[in-house]
Amino acid sequence: MPLIRTEDVCKSFGKLQVLKNINVTINKGEVISIVGPSGAGKSTFLRSLNQLEKITHGKIFIDDQLFLHREHDATVHRIHREEYIRLLLEMGMVFQQFNLFPHKTVLQNLTLAPINVQKVTKKAAEEQARDLLALVGLTDKADEYPSRLSGGQKQRVAIARALAMNPKIMLFDEPTSALDPELVGEVLGVMRKLAQSGMTMIVVTHEMSFAKDVCNRVLFMCDGAVAEENTPNEFFSNPKNPRAAQFLQSIL
Amino acid sequence: MKIVEYVRAHKKPFLWIAAIVVVLLILVITKPSMETLRTSMSQELRDLEGNHVSSEVNLGIAGAVRGKVQRTAESETYIGVLGMVIQADEGIAKTAGDVLLWLPQLFRGAVTTVELSVVAMLAGIVLGVFLALGKISKNKVVSKLCSAYIFFFRGTPLLMQLFFIYYGLPTISMSLAINNKFFAAFVAFALNFGAYCAELVRAAIQSIDKGQFEASKALGMTGTQNMRLVILPQTIRRLIPPMSNEFIMALKDVSLVSLIALSDLTHVTRSISSSTASVTVFIPAMIIYLIITAIFTFIFNRIEKRFSIYD
Repeated sequence: MPLIRTEDVCKSFGKLQVLKNINVTINKGEVISIVGPSGAGKSTFLRSLNQLEKITHGKIFIDDQLFLHREHDATVHRIHREEYIRLLLEMGMVFQQFNLFPHKTVLQNLTLAPINVQKVTKKAAEEQARDLLALVGLTDKADEYPSRLSGGQKQRVAIARALAMNPKIMLFDEPTSALDPELVGEVLGVMRKLAQSGMTMIVVTHEMSFAKDVCNRVLFMCDGAVAEENTPNEFFSNPKNPRAAQFLQSIL
Repeated sequence: MKIVEYVRAHKKPFLWIAAIVVVLLILVITKPSMETLRTSMSQELRDLEGNHVSSEVNLGIAGAVRGKVQRTAESETYIGVLGMVIQADEGIAKTAGDVLLWLPQLFRGAVTTVELSVVAMLAGIVLGVFLALGKISKNKVVSKLCSAYIFFFRGTPLLMQLFFIYYGLPTISMSLAINNKFFAAFVAFALNFGAYCAELVRAAIQSIDKGQFEASKALGMTGTQNMRLVILPQTIRRLIPPMSNEFIMALKDVSLVSLIALSDLTHVTRSISSSTASVTVFIPAMIIYLIITAIFTFIFNRIEKRFSIYD
């Protein structure tokens, strides 16, 4: 069953077209990595899925329901606000720069949206938050402010914060790119655990080992289009697209 | 037990406080009674009909009385402190006596100054937050209106705004007249400070990282929730230093009310100065301004520390 489906997603900044007719289907339980040279539109595509970027044209379906339909830079079909929130929250997002709320403790970071958006009781939200902190191995940091955490710890909190909304899909936008090399492992560890638990994940990443070991499918993006879609084994050993081959050569 | 530990950890300030309390206690106990001061006056003054005391002040730690012969304008002043009665008719003693006798008036003026600047600033902050939100609003009409408001109140002299509200409005329509000087001044300053605060708040909001907005949006928050729960709380910490600066400016701007004859510290000082034909009174008045500024700077620093916990 497709959790996310995009139809002809296009995006332009003025004359510059950064996404060109992207058609992608992501099924439940799949772990997809999006790789490619910088400027290929990987992050833009990921951020278009939850409307952090406004696409110019195309349709996005979440859970087989129309989430967004735009043509000529205008929304064609406006969905109800409640429906929008419900579908939006099926996606959890993890950012490169963590974007934790610095004025809130770790626990409050995890409970702020559940309490205010999903109207969960404070008690229930905190209970769930503590479970999630245990999952990412930060139980003892519940009452710290984010500024007291290392980059890896911050990103693990950010993952827990996204999970607190009980999403069906997790979007990762270069989750390890802002980290010191020795901190990358702990974040990838949490992501591995999450993948093993059956979470559907889309990961924009430069961590080829993660793409190789954990993902079911690799999307290679280049110049705003999906140039190759393949299993990790095939992609890394025998890429079909010449640009993909060139890209792999340059990073290995 | 906690109190004992707290005192132990902060020995120095507590020693200072203790020392000051002891000195004050000694001063209070040894202060000659006002009756003693009054009876110290010369027989000639006391023989006058009616009340021979023209002014007196009792500060608890020191007191002063002055008697005056209206006909000849001859006066005698006595200061009572540390068990002594000092005749203060010339030199430093005279100045000290003058200052003591002015203090109650100056104090009342200072209270007006502080009250007015605090309430006007508080109203200005509230107004400023709304103006700032209006100015960055996506609604073009609201945004333009707020910009125009800010442009007007920052672009014209505060004194002119004050005059317009106090003297100008009644000439347009009597129903607009604000008879209470304090209230008229409050309205003028609140409107003006609002414009300045708006720019500070806007700058603070726009200095917050865009990622905070994106994270809120991805978590399903509405624009209002994002502002209220995420952005505005983060601006408070950044707003304290510029707001502190703004408040100290406001405190001094309030001296303009002396021009609509509201008895603030400046107005009191000027009237004493002209009635005594001397500028000596400016020295204690400026010291009072400095003390007020120092107290508020201290308070703002404390607030800033309180809000720095998450840095």
